[in-house]
Amino acid sequence: MSKAYFNYAGKRLLQAIVVILLSYVFTFVVVSILPGDPITNVLNNPQNGFTPDEIKEIIAAQGLDKPIPVQLWNAFSGFVTGDLGLSMRTNRPVATLIAEVLPSTLVLASAGLAVSLVLAAIIAYGTQFLPRRFGQGLLRGFPSLFLSVPNFVIGLVLIHLFGFQLGVFRVIEPDSFWATLFAAIALGIPISAQIAEVLIANLDHESGQDYAAVARGRGLGQMRLFVMHLLKPSSLPVITVVALTIGELLGGSLITETVFGRNGLGNLVQRSVSTQDLPVLQAVVSLAAVVFVVVNLIADLTYPLLDPRVKLLGTQQRRPTTADDSSLPISKAVTP
Amino acid sequence: MAPQDRLTTFLNHPSSPLLRVKGLSVAYGTHRVVSDVGFELGRGKSLALIGESGSGKSTIARAVLRLLPGTGHATGRVEFDGQELLGLPERRFRPFRGRRIGFVPQDPGNSLNPVRTIGAQAMEAAALLDEPDKALRKAVVLETFAQVGLDNPQRVYDSYPHQLSGGMLQRVLIGLAVLPRPALLVADEPTSALDVTIQKRILDLLSKLREELQISLLLITHDLAIAAERADSIVVLKDGAIQETGSTAMVFSAPSSSYARKLHGDVPALNPDRYRPLREPGFRHLGARRDKTPKIEVSGVTKNFTVDGKVLTAVNDVSFDVQAGTTHALVGESGSGKTTAIRLLLGLEQPDTGKIAVGGEQVNGRSPEQLRSVWRHLQLVYQNPFTSLDPTWNVEKIVREPLDRFKIGTYQERTLAVRKAFADVGLGEHLLSRKPAALSGGQRQRLAIARSLVLKPDVIVLDEPTSALDVSVQADIVEVLLSLQVKLGLTYIFVSHDLALVRQLAHTVSVMQRGRIVEHGTVAEIFDTPRQPYTRSLLESIPSGAARLARTQPLQHRQIFNEEKIA
Repeated sequence: MSKAYFNYAGKRLLQAIVVILLSYVFTFVVVSILPGDPITNVLNNPQNGFTPDEIKEIIAAQGLDKPIPVQLWNAFSGFVTGDLGLSMRTNRPVATLIAEVLPSTLVLASAGLAVSLVLAAIIAYGTQFLPRRFGQGLLRGFPSLFLSVPNFVIGLVLIHLFGFQLGVFRVIEPDSFWATLFAAIALGIPISAQIAEVLIANLDHESGQDYAAVARGRGLGQMRLFVMHLLKPSSLPVITVVALTIGELLGGSLITETVFGRNGLGNLVQRSVSTQDLPVLQAVVSLAAVVFVVVNLIADLTYPLLDPRVKLLGTQQRRPTTADDSSLPISKAVTP
Repeated sequence: MAPQDRLTTFLNHPSSPLLRVKGLSVAYGTHRVVSDVGFELGRGKSLALIGESGSGKSTIARAVLRLLPGTGHATGRVEFDGQELLGLPERRFRPFRGRRIGFVPQDPGNSLNPVRTIGAQAMEAAALLDEPDKALRKAVVLETFAQVGLDNPQRVYDSYPHQLSGGMLQRVLIGLAVLPRPALLVADEPTSALDVTIQKRILDLLSKLREELQISLLLITHDLAIAAERADSIVVLKDGAIQETGSTAMVFSAPSSSYARKLHGDVPALNPDRYRPLREPGFRHLGARRDKTPKIEVSGVTKNFTVDGKVLTAVNDVSFDVQAGTTHALVGESGSGKTTAIRLLLGLEQPDTGKIAVGGEQVNGRSPEQLRSVWRHLQLVYQNPFTSLDPTWNVEKIVREPLDRFKIGTYQERTLAVRKAFADVGLGEHLLSRKPAALSGGQRQRLAIARSLVLKPDVIVLDEPTSALDVSVQADIVEVLLSLQVKLGLTYIFVSHDLALVRQLAHTVSVMQRGRIVEHGTVAEIFDTPRQPYTRSLLESIPSGAARLARTQPLQHRQIFNEEKIA
């Protein structure tokens, strides 16, 4: 790992921090200027019988009487130090609420990612080994099929089929192994479609490259050509795709949890939305932004280590030709 | 092959050729690209398939190797060493690939897996040897790398493809192809992506290996001069059908088909004086040079680029003058600074030192607005007409754009100017409403020339204007350019690596190497009495069929191994 790599990594890290900061500020401001929150709703309702003094006291305790920039600063410094404030609905620390449900969601999301990767690999790599006409056409049809069915429908079908009809898992025990597996399948299927599409396109592209024909000309069979030559270059871009699907994975988890009745982040978000529990929502959204940015940061940092062609900014290696028109602004077109 | 083995081979197959192709047809889906092609290639002999793009020559090579892409399907017979290949199931054909038939591809830059080391890929070829010991196999690889003239085999072994130059990659690929000692080497345009001096080294290497290892060579090329120099016999193809076939001497001394005669006439290397009448006026301008100031004056121009903190001098103290109405050629290999020189001339880059003047007006040091007045008189025709024209615009809009940009004339006058430029380059008006995609390569380059003419410039910079075109189309474009020069008194700056072409059309020449002009003079001075060794090496690299045909002795192998190094 060179100095250039550390420069690059440093820059990327800085960018990531800026993005997290901006996303926090953005959500905070949007949430603050939106009308209505549970406390003022309750307090302003005359039926509830709060006196003006009581109202003032509660608002001061919540810090809602301070100007928005001050509130933002208080909330953000708390966020950085792990103090996410108190839930308006339950008056418990938001950090505790999230910590209770996060493991369940992480298990589901990781399992969903694993399912989608395995499925995508089976579909995409399978196209390389099936006869062109029949099997390949079938496999190539899967991604668009998967994409067009929402994951809650898949979830309901799986629950009905495997939970009620076949009795593979008990629907009332959503955290059991089998229930988790089927939830992960429901979550992973639409995501696998995107990964498979990219993989198939890359495989088609790479197997049409000159080097693949030349390698076959060296006497390589289909299997070795695939394993030795096509697998790596066609799979590398998947790192980026997976990083980009993290958002969907999280969003999908929330839906899937609701469908399967799992007690996870989805449940928490759902209740917080319906009660306008702003501190919890702010924390969950910011946390999602952090996860998304971190995963993409990891993808960006891994890529140059895996692909020898990737030139890091400002470190382009020169081809050792006698001199160097090739690197100057007018690039030479390769004549056909 | 050991002498005893060769004897055995000859005793077993007394007269049969190594490769016999009979009635070969290839179709993609229902679209037939090769029809009824047949030829024979003897043991240790070389045969060239020549033709222009679309002639089916590469398709034939791929059919022999059974590497046709996609829906390609071959019928007919391909016999290798007495064994019919096309009908074999893939499983039984695979042992032929690599082991018996080696393949050297066209574009070395794309022919090795970019994310694996050269060594890892070389070991695949080495796996075809019957050698169980991995260390020994690696030794064979390194030995082969040395044999093909790679200086530091271990370093090449550990490199990734993007770390090597095109010439080195082609050596690697040739090495991988010959490593399992095949009987036949199929080389598909092995040098068309390389510089001319490197081309010569690669061709020399192929000839040497062919003699040392008794390998037959099936050479696919668009370059007649290469075929004349390197092949024993020749098959001329056009539109997938054979036009002519015979020994090289026969095809070149007495071509029987009209197509072969035309091709022969269009190859610059074989016809240095083809455009003599059209060039005469230019030479007269040159003779009268004392009376006038030169149209273009470049003096002491230097341009540095900073890359990774290192200073690279792309153009170093370059000076030349060009008289009005003449063609000045800048020649040199890739990286010699030709492109930077013309970018400076066009004002697209600013020189660090020196002065550039066109028509007495200084170009460098101008603001972008001031440059516009220079650009009216200074136009560029770009190298590749397949990428230099906006595919979404119709032809008329493309030619008209400069007039609109410079707000010249009324609407009707602009329309007339477009039509006139169109007529000047010999394009019919019925093409005006088409999109570039509906035009052939030659028509596109004419279009690019028309676009540059429409502003009535005095100077046109031609950046390798024919290098993306077939040789017959190239001859066409050259003729258009020279006629326009005579008719309109244009001054050309012609950038090229093709010395044979330069000889055909230039009046004065500057030879560039590593950013400097190492030699300059009239075309006769440079080509007939070159003084610099670099110029001589460039000239010697021009493949010349005539030289080969005159030779009765087999090729003399000079110093083939070269000084290319991994930087």
